[in-house]
Amino acid sequence: MARMKFLCDADRCIECNGCVTACKNVNEVPWGVNRRRVVTLNDGLPGEKSISVACMHCTDAPCAAVCPVDCFYTTDDGIVLHDKDLCIGCGYCFYACPFGAPQFPKTEAFGVRGKMDKCTFCAGGPDGDGSEEEFTKYGANRISEGKLPACAEMCATKALLAGDADMVADIYRERVMRRGGRPQTWGWSQAYGEG
Amino acid sequence: MKLIRKQTDNSSNKAARGSAFDRRTFLKRSGVTAGAAAVAGSVPLGMMRRVEAQTASGSRNRNVEVKRTVCSHCSVGCGSIAHVENGVWVGQEPDFESPLNMGAHCAKGAALRYHGMSEKRVRYPMKLVDGQWKRLSWQQAVDEIGDQFLKIREESGPDSVWWCGSSKANNEGSYLQRKFAAFWGTNNMDHQARICHSTTVAGVANTWGYGAMTNSYNDMHKCKSMLFVGSNAAEAHPVAMHHILRGKENGAKMIVVDPRLTRTAAHADQYLRLRPGSDVAFIWGLLWHIFENGWEDTQYINQRVYGMDKIREEVANWDPATCTEVTGVPEEEMRQAAQTLAENRPGTIVWCMGGTQHHIGNNNTRAYCVLQLALGNVGKSGGGANIFRGHDNVQGATDVGPNCQTLPGYYGLSDGAWKHWARVWDVDYDWLKNRFDNEGEYDSGDGTLARPMNIPGIAVSRWIDGILEDPENLSQRDNIRAVFFQGHAVNSQTRGPEMKKAVEKLDLVVISDPYPTHLAVMSERKNGVYLLPTCTQFEQSGSVTASNRSIQWREKVIDPMYESKPDAAILHLFAGKFGFADKMFKHISVDDSGLPSPEDTLREINQGTWTIGYTGQSPERLKLHAENRHTFDTTTLVAKGGPCDGETYGLPWPCWGTPEMKHPGTHILYDTSKPVSQGGLTFRARFGTEHEGNNILAEGSYGKNSDLEDGYPEFSYAMLRRLGWHTELTPYELDVIAWVAGQLPEKPAGSASQSYVAQFRDRESEVLDAVNWKTDLSGGIQRVAIAHECSPFGNAKARAIVWTFPDQVPLHREPLYTARYELVSKYPTFEDRKSVWRVPNRYASIQETDYSGDYPLIFTSGRLVEYEGGGEETRSMKWLAELQQEMFVEINPADANDRGIQDNQWVWLEGPEGGHIKIRAMITDRVGRGVVWTPYHFGGWFQGEDLLDRYPEGSAPYIRGEACNTATTYGYDPVTQMQETKSTLCQIKAA
Amino acid sequence: MKRTIPRILILTVIALALAGCYESASVTRHEPGVYKGEQDPLVNKLANDDGLREQLDQRFDGQRDR
Repeated sequence: MARMKFLCDADRCIECNGCVTACKNVNEVPWGVNRRRVVTLNDGLPGEKSISVACMHCTDAPCAAVCPVDCFYTTDDGIVLHDKDLCIGCGYCFYACPFGAPQFPKTEAFGVRGKMDKCTFCAGGPDGDGSEEEFTKYGANRISEGKLPACAEMCATKALLAGDADMVADIYRERVMRRGGRPQTWGWSQAYGEG
Repeated sequence: MKLIRKQTDNSSNKAARGSAFDRRTFLKRSGVTAGAAAVAGSVPLGMMRRVEAQTASGSRNRNVEVKRTVCSHCSVGCGSIAHVENGVWVGQEPDFESPLNMGAHCAKGAALRYHGMSEKRVRYPMKLVDGQWKRLSWQQAVDEIGDQFLKIREESGPDSVWWCGSSKANNEGSYLQRKFAAFWGTNNMDHQARICHSTTVAGVANTWGYGAMTNSYNDMHKCKSMLFVGSNAAEAHPVAMHHILRGKENGAKMIVVDPRLTRTAAHADQYLRLRPGSDVAFIWGLLWHIFENGWEDTQYINQRVYGMDKIREEVANWDPATCTEVTGVPEEEMRQAAQTLAENRPGTIVWCMGGTQHHIGNNNTRAYCVLQLALGNVGKSGGGANIFRGHDNVQGATDVGPNCQTLPGYYGLSDGAWKHWARVWDVDYDWLKNRFDNEGEYDSGDGTLARPMNIPGIAVSRWIDGILEDPENLSQRDNIRAVFFQGHAVNSQTRGPEMKKAVEKLDLVVISDPYPTHLAVMSERKNGVYLLPTCTQFEQSGSVTASNRSIQWREKVIDPMYESKPDAAILHLFAGKFGFADKMFKHISVDDSGLPSPEDTLREINQGTWTIGYTGQSPERLKLHAENRHTFDTTTLVAKGGPCDGETYGLPWPCWGTPEMKHPGTHILYDTSKPVSQGGLTFRARFGTEHEGNNILAEGSYGKNSDLEDGYPEFSYAMLRRLGWHTELTPYELDVIAWVAGQLPEKPAGSASQSYVAQFRDRESEVLDAVNWKTDLSGGIQRVAIAHECSPFGNAKARAIVWTFPDQVPLHREPLYTARYELVSKYPTFEDRKSVWRVPNRYASIQETDYSGDYPLIFTSGRLVEYEGGGEETRSMKWLAELQQEMFVEINPADANDRGIQDNQWVWLEGPEGGHIKIRAMITDRVGRGVVWTPYHFGGWFQGEDLLDRYPEGSAPYIRGEACNTATTYGYDPVTQMQETKSTLCQIKAA
Repeated sequence: MKRTIPRILILTVIALALAGCYESASVTRHEPGVYKGEQDPLVNKLANDDGLREQLDQRFDGQRDR
């Protein structure tokens, strides 16, 4: 069975934020909600590294484990999705997530939290695939159209890869072999274990 | 799968939670208020428009048209696929088939669709009346503006209106901008290439022939070494980094030289921190090691380079200690870098604004070229000078567009050049001449007198001086009294307070732009400002030239938004108002909406631009390339099979001869390993055949299969006759040559009989002999030269010295405002010049004062990935604006502590000419001690004041901030009027 | 006539009250550890539609360096 994964090659990531605006473009997430972000370590210092981070669609997703209303579900290929009609916006998932992926848009005055929003691997949500309701609540459903997440598809240097784990790993393995040196795939083992 | 080594949980957790401090968190934190304001109105317009589109079509995803466009935010030329439903741009998809970007985008490219939903646009023509913006019809606007321009023309002559074109116009729009100025009767027309790579174009063209990128982004896959000087590709040309990192993965050694440890430097094998403004010293320091160790390519130099001996003499002065003293780069680092370049050939050099924007910019660019010539790197795949241009069509606009010193195709402004273009335009030369101010003669710059038609106009960097300077000191009749800006951001130019004064002095300001721009709000004007809503490139079709000289065809994505019109349509309206539309658009059809045909316009460009081989790229060929772009190799850019088999993607110029000749385009300039007919070239014989008695043609070096096996001068009819090749010209070609020579009254219609033209065939006539590869409108001379595998422009040596420039050998000269004043006596600037392109240039009179006491910090500027140029457009795009919410200055912790400045605190940055800006401090080691850096994309503030109230309602960009150039200072290159923005001084104090 | 209107009102109120007591069999009830939300058609599609699978694999080629 195929397994969908993200991989960010830190040797290629240049912190151009293409993934971030690609996400905003296809999902039309509002100002202030960032399903994907680029994080830079050692900013401005020798050894500076950047990594693009979003929901990694973890194998044993900690968010799902802590959700008090069990609004998460997982496709057979490991895409972690959730139902906003069930979500109560409690924020437990935010604390559980090692990647800081869950977002809580401000929908009312006084900063009351809205329903949780996060990267869907461009696979929408439970409402009918490609429906207007689905787009409004979850953004694009590219997977159902045979397309992969826009962030990876538009990555400036092809640092961010998204797709079948074996194919992703093949590309990355080839790069590491050509470069020599240590793999730079921050977050991969944390999200997917050693397997 | 056990591929990935587990990393420490500690560091990764920290990063994920955003507790690690970086520029993003800094900006997110500081921008809370701006964000909150934007959230208030956050129902996305795109959402509404999407619903509209679907309502109109009944349900989802029928009727989707697929359009192919090219990103308009830098010169890489990234293709992008647009999905359009009922006229609404509903989706953006990656263009995986483009060999230039293979689907990839940076933040700007991945946000392109926002252009189709921007609510901040100028929606209809407006004028400022007593401080209020008043709506006008297009007809009213054209009549009012036109009448005032005509009145100024009557009173002060045609040179009193200054026109600004754009690198963001497509080839057709920018070409028409230049043609329009010619028909109006002035050379006072320029565009942002002036302040981008003008010193490159002049320096490089004067070294080996053409002033353009010699290779391509894609060719960097083949580099063995890469030297970046003053180029931050990761932020300025992000998709280029795809090619660069592939090159690096293939084993190339990457060296980055910059005052800042940039995001590009983060990927380098070696990073050298350079003192701003010491580029020549740095390059000579590298060459010192190269010559010292005999690492230069002696055979290459002997065959293909002239003047290297004089370079050696200067380089001898730059021993390691001296070089380190001036540049600040440690001696051992210099040696190591030189060795890397010597041992890893072919290697390329990349430079950008960090190298060009200096008052000795032309010296810098020539020094870079000389380094590459010494290493024998030019004309080789994996080598070359990969000069990354800025805007999407800055290469094309430089080639065929609005430049104050030349007609399209670098023909210059001589009578011969004007006559050439008069023939192409099919207008009477005398009529054209009479459009100009012929009343007086003025200082042309070298002390001789000339008429304004033959004197370069006032450059984009100097228009404010055209307004403020005493007319006695100008090489034209009167001051500039009105300006017309079509697609340019004035906040990208230096000396803000003086600009404000200049704008306030004008009779009239006209801004033709999708957005209001900083110019509309920066002054205290209450009247006499017009805004004309103008289309982006997504609302029109046309061709665009990427940095590598590849030309791509853009399809129109959506109809013009609101009441906006494309550049060409606006120019057509004004040409009508001024009474020369019939002449100007004689061979260009204009459709019912008033839009001149981009196809016809490109064909006219094809018919005139022989100098640079912009002649073979017909609209039909370009469209064929677009359709078959998947057939092109992503490294060589050559099509494998299919209808474009063997051609190079986008027919990079020179694409010699007529389109029918099917030249494949030239991927790598000056590559003698290929025949000219297959994209090979020699160095151009542009500077005669000898200098001080020395032969300057190539020796023993020539293109593959060339019938001339040595150097040769440029091709003319005389040369063909001498070689006996003139008999190969067709009757039609000979007929056209005779017409160009003035031997026939009418332009030949298209065919001629052998017997009719026989009279010219062997005639020894000076006028006939003088027709050459640049002026022969039939393309016959080029065709015959290439049939013999010769370069039409000759085969010469590149020249390491340029005897027509102020510094024959590139010299280091200290910046006008230098922090190292003790070096001025040894490396002084130029003497003041009375007239450079119509205005005086000051040098020594500024440098004679030492400002380094009160203004001890070196002030330099650069790019952020989210924004482009002056930023009016990109700061108005929500998806981008959210990511960079405030103007800031990077300051070293030591300098901040010396001034008691905290991170994120408001500070005043003041330049030595008094301009001051209120911005946030960002404390970082990215800049070295004594150097501060700001981005240059901000505008809409002026010296502490947010100018929000001055924008037409609802049109202010989401993000506004101080323009860094409010605080930058005087300083201009003597060859090109390039402005000095990369090395001045400032002081910073807490606000 | 006087009494007719209140009677109708009472009947309406009773009808509404009864309707309010009706319990739908499909209402989501929480069961710890079990997702009881709407079924996403994509889950089935991904599991069973080989065409879509193949399409996604081909699409991935766009992310290669080419």
